[in-house]
Formats: sequence, C-alpha cells, structure tokens
Amino acid sequence: MSTLFGIALRNLIQSRRRTALVGVAISGVTTVLVVLLALANGLQDNLVQAATTISAGHVSVAGFFKPSATNINAIVTGKTAIRALVDENVQGIDYIVERHRGWGKIVGNEGTLQVGLTGIVVDDEPKLFDTLGLAFESEYVDGGRDEVIGDARDLAQPDTMVIFASQAKRLGVRVGDSVTIKTETLAGQTNTADARIVAVARDLGLLSDFAVFVDRGLILDLYRYNDDTTGALWVYLDDIDRSEQVMRDLRVAFTEAGYNLREYDANPFYFKLPKVQAEDWTGQQIDVTTWRDEVSFLTFILTGFAALSWLLTTILVSVIAVGIMNAIWTAVRERTREVGTMRAIGLSRVRVLGLFLTEAALLGALASTVGALLGLVLVLGIDALSVPITADAARAILLSDTLHLRTTPVTLVSAVAVLTFLTTLSAIWPSIRAATLPPVKALQHAE
Amino acid sequence: MQRLLALIAALIVSLPAVAAPTADELVSRLRTVDERQRSSGDFQARVYLEQKEKGKADLVYEAEVYRRDAADKLVIFFTRPQAEAGKGYLRIDANLFVYDPTVGRWERRTERERIGGTASNRGDFDESRLADEYAPAYVGDEMLGQFEVERMRLSAMEGVDVAYPVVEVWLDKATGNLLKRQDFALSGRLLRTTYYPQWIKVFSPSKNADVYYAREIRIFDEVEKGTNTTIVFQQVQLDPLEDSIFTKAWLEAKSR
Repeated sequence: MSTLFGIALRNLIQSRRRTALVGVAISGVTTVLVVLLALANGLQDNLVQAATTISAGHVSVAGFFKPSATNINAIVTGKTAIRALVDENVQGIDYIVERHRGWGKIVGNEGTLQVGLTGIVVDDEPKLFDTLGLAFESEYVDGGRDEVIGDARDLAQPDTMVIFASQAKRLGVRVGDSVTIKTETLAGQTNTADARIVAVARDLGLLSDFAVFVDRGLILDLYRYNDDTTGALWVYLDDIDRSEQVMRDLRVAFTEAGYNLREYDANPFYFKLPKVQAEDWTGQQIDVTTWRDEVSFLTFILTGFAALSWLLTTILVSVIAVGIMNAIWTAVRERTREVGTMRAIGLSRVRVLGLFLTEAALLGALASTVGALLGLVLVLGIDALSVPITADAARAILLSDTLHLRTTPVTLVSAVAVLTFLTTLSAIWPSIRAATLPPVKALQHAE
Repeated sequence: MQRLLALIAALIVSLPAVAAPTADELVSRLRTVDERQRSSGDFQARVYLEQKEKGKADLVYEAEVYRRDAADKLVIFFTRPQAEAGKGYLRIDANLFVYDPTVGRWERRTERERIGGTASNRGDFDESRLADEYAPAYVGDEMLGQFEVERMRLSAMEGVDVAYPVVEVWLDKATGNLLKRQDFALSGRLLRTTYYPQWIKVFSPSKNADVYYAREIRIFDEVEKGTNTTIVFQQVQLDPLEDSIFTKAWLEAKSR
C-alpha cells in the first residue's frame, strides 16, 4: 500500500502542471461547498433565533378560546393551573415566559401595518433582550444618527412598544413617537390604544415583519382580558433537541388532566385560526406545539436553499469530474509504456487499478483539504465582518439584517470526504482502462 | 319685580330639562329611523364603493346587494373590477360568510368584516337596527350645517354583537332622517364619521308604505386620516326576490 502511495505521490509531483490545474479546481469547488454549507448553517441559526425570539418557545402551550361560534381569540384562560401542570410534567426546563397575543392595525405618521401584538413582562424575560439587538437610528430614519436610541427594557412602562427597523420605516416613526393600535375585543367591539415607541430592534427577516412587542398591560387593557389569561406559555429547555419529546409528554399530561386538547397540527397558531373559526364549538382548547411547528412555513427557505446548494455543487462537481477523468486519461496515455512494463514484471491488474485510484484519491484529499481550509478562513472572515444585507427581500429570506455564516468540524470533514470520494469515483473508468491494457500492447505503445 | 325675574330665570334654567326627551321618546325616534329603512319585502340595489386611502391607489367596486330583512339575509355580490368580480358575502342569521372564487372557498367572517377591504362593514349595507342594538341618551339639539338636528349618544346593549360600543347620531328634527353618525372605540376614541347627505324613498307594496334608503354614504376614517369610503346606492328595487339568491350555491353559480 505504501509503495502504491509513494508511486502515486511521485506521479502527482512529476505532473506538476496537471496536478495544479485539477487541484485548484477541486479546491475551488470544496471552498464553494464549505461556504454554501456555512450559509445554510447560518440560515438555520437565524431561523432558530428568529423563531424562538418572535414566534415560539422551544415548546409552546397555547390555545383558542371561543365565546361564541363565530368569535375566536388565540388565548389561554386559567394560565396559573396550566403553568403548574407544565412545571410538574417537564424536566430540564431552562425558563418559561408568557406571551400575550393579539392582532391589530398600527397607525403611524406615514403608514399603517397589520401586525401580531406580543405582550411581555420585562422582569420575567431572562434572554429576550440579549437576542433582540437594537438598530441604529440611521437604519430606519433618513439622516438618523449612527447610534442606538431607546431601551427595549422600557417596555416595563405602561403603553409602550418595541418595533422592528423595517416597520419603523414603513410607519414613518422613530423612538419617542406614538402610534395607535386598533383591534377588536373578545366580544367583537372595536378598541384602540396609543403606544409610545421605546426602541427599534434590528430586523429578523420575514417573522419580524409581522410582530411587535408591547407591555403586557396594554394587551390586557386593549382586549379586556382578566389577569389569569395569557396568549401562550413558551417553555425553553436546556436542550432544544428535546422539544418534540417534551411536546408529546405535555400532550399526554394535558389529556390526562382533563383539558380539551386540540389535535396535533404542525402549523403556526395563526394558520389554524380560519379552521378553528369555522368549527362549531365554544369554550377553550389547548394546543401544544414545538418551535418548528410555529415556523413550519419557513422550512421552504431551508429546503430551497439546501436544494440550490446541492444543485450548484453537483454542477461544479460534474465539471470537475470531467476534468479529473480527462487528467487521468492523459496520465494513462502518457504512462502506457510504464503500465506495460509494470504489468510485464508481474504487477497485477488490481494493483494497477489501485495505483491510479490512489493517485486520484490523494489529489482529491490534498486539494479538498486546502479548499476546506480556504473556505474556513472565508467563512470566519465574512461572519466577523457582519456584512449588512441591504435588500429587503434578501433580509426577509435570510431572516437577518447581516450575513451570518457558521461552519463546524463535521461540515469541513464532510466536504473533504465528499470531494475526495467524488474525485476517486471519477477516476475509476480511466483507471480500469489502464488496468485492462494487455502488457504487450502497452509496451508497443509509441510515446 | 325681583320675584318675576327669579321666576323667569328659573324657567330659563329648567327649559332644557323640560325640552329633553325621555328615554322612551329617544328609543321611539330610533325605532322610527329603523322602521323607515326596513322593507317588509325584499330589497335589491346596485352599489358603487370608492375607497380613497393616503398613499395608495383609489379602489372602486361595483356590487349588487340583495336583502331580505324579515329573514335577516343579505348578499353582496361584486361585479367589478374584473379582479374582484365573483367575490361575495352572504349573511344568514348571525353568520357572515365570504366567498372567494379564485380559491372556490367559503370562509366565515365576523360582523365587523371590512367589506372589500374598505372602511365599510356589513351594517352599512344592511337594515338599520339602532333601537334593538343601542340604548340612547340625549346630548342636545344643535345645527348641522343648515339642518336643525337632535344629537344622541348610543351605548351598545349587553350581549349585542356590534362593531362599535358607542355611537353618536345626528337626526334631522324635521324629517327624522339620520344625517351624521360617529362611531367610537371602547377607549372612547373616535373611529369613523359617516354622513348621509341624501335620503330617497321608494314605495313598498308589501309594506304599503315608503322605504327610505341613503342614496349616498360618506365614511371618513378618523384614525387613518385621509382614508374615506363613499357608498352610492342606485337602481333600488323592492320586488320579491328568488329564495335561491340567499344561498351559497347561487353565489357560487353566479361567480362562474
């Protein structure tokens, strides 16, 4: 084996130009693959962050309340008892927060928005304000200052609101301005409230287009809810990967406790509203979902991006495969007499095959390792630069206002392994041809 | 002399109290407003809706409205523009449904649904039920332009499904017609001001009396300043309508 390895290495060194040419191509494809995978990882990070900041906890305990067949509100009544049941039945809870939900129209100085209202209690939020980065004023006001204005923790004050940068632009408002919220109460009557904007957060893509944070009291007042009502209990776990299991456990616990549990539906709560509204029942139904369910409509972004990455990689690899085959063909042609000699002195066909395959594998491994390292440097560099995403559509899809890339050792090793395997695979056919050359014919081959 | 002056002063002070109508009288006036608009038979009209919104292109719709007040049924069927043609609303009892021909699906909506995305809602097209839905309180007599009007503040009755919990109305003292209406939110904020500049009467053989309808309704959004909706009723007819009109099947067939 070491002999084969030595000969393969010598051959690669001897054919420096060809080795360099094919090697650069393999490195380039590996770099592209590493960057694309890092972008996909970054997108996944953005999705998890946006989802668990705006849309859901790792597990969400929510529900629907219908005072009449036609009126519906996404609320949970008797939250104290529900919270106790969650505490009792879930192990490994990091923390639980309440999210009061509403839907209304916000009227600003220059525009209006239909948004989901998320009511929070500032003192009960251990991590929200760490993940909710605030935007510079210049990001939402023409000629604004390059500094953060306001403090999201001022949501502790009554009748206050935190909106996102793109919303501030559309409404034509800045920190300190007031907006009017217009909505309907549980009984279907129109109600309004004025709220002062205390901070403007950085966009978190599509999800932040339809969400604002308000103080909990404002929601209670606007909808005339009592104090034992909430929109949802968001359960954050020590390990997000346990979400599915905890959701299943909670569904069993709620059923056993006699709650009217809604059949599992892996969709966000607002997708279910038309269906629930059309149903002829009144009262309360509890719904338990995971964060994935609450952003299930966004998985098309991840799926689409993964498909695009693999399509691009496949095209590039196909081009490279043709190059590698061509290079091995050339090597076989150049070394036909050498093959003939080796075969004449007793080298078996399998070992000739192994010789050429080792050469391709070695080239693949070395070049893809260099490409992966280059990709790593690029990924770390781009991520450190926090490149701003200026296009609204790109921001919506990438779920962030800056470009975020993340790679892992597993990703790098996988990229090297895949490219090495594909390089070796593409050398099989010319290697078989070399191995099957009759020694006499090979020796007669003219240079 | 002093006694006489004191008596005159007392009379002047107590005059508004004497002039203020009783609660029953106010309810009676509201019922008159409702009754005059109520058709014991059927009602149909061609309706034009225009919505002007700040920073957006104007919306103009044409629709057909069919009403059967005795059975609480209402159909609004959009005929223009092409993009909205075939869309329709159907109210049966307390349920309002909307049909979208592009997806061929019915959805239940609340009574407060904004018709065609405009500031109008079901109540603007349906029969008036002020006396049944609100408890009136007298505010005062005043002038509205050249009209002498009676102003009332109406509060929604307990358990009644209305979009606006508080409403103020201005009734023409001479004719009893509703000339102006303001809708308020629970918070007390003024939401809409509506003017009814022209009332038309049509003789109804089934009622054996005139039925009144506002030929034009102008709705001004008081929260989103610059947004207003105009509804114009034309070709009003009170002839009996086919029963099938007030069904989902009819609306679906018509939208094809």
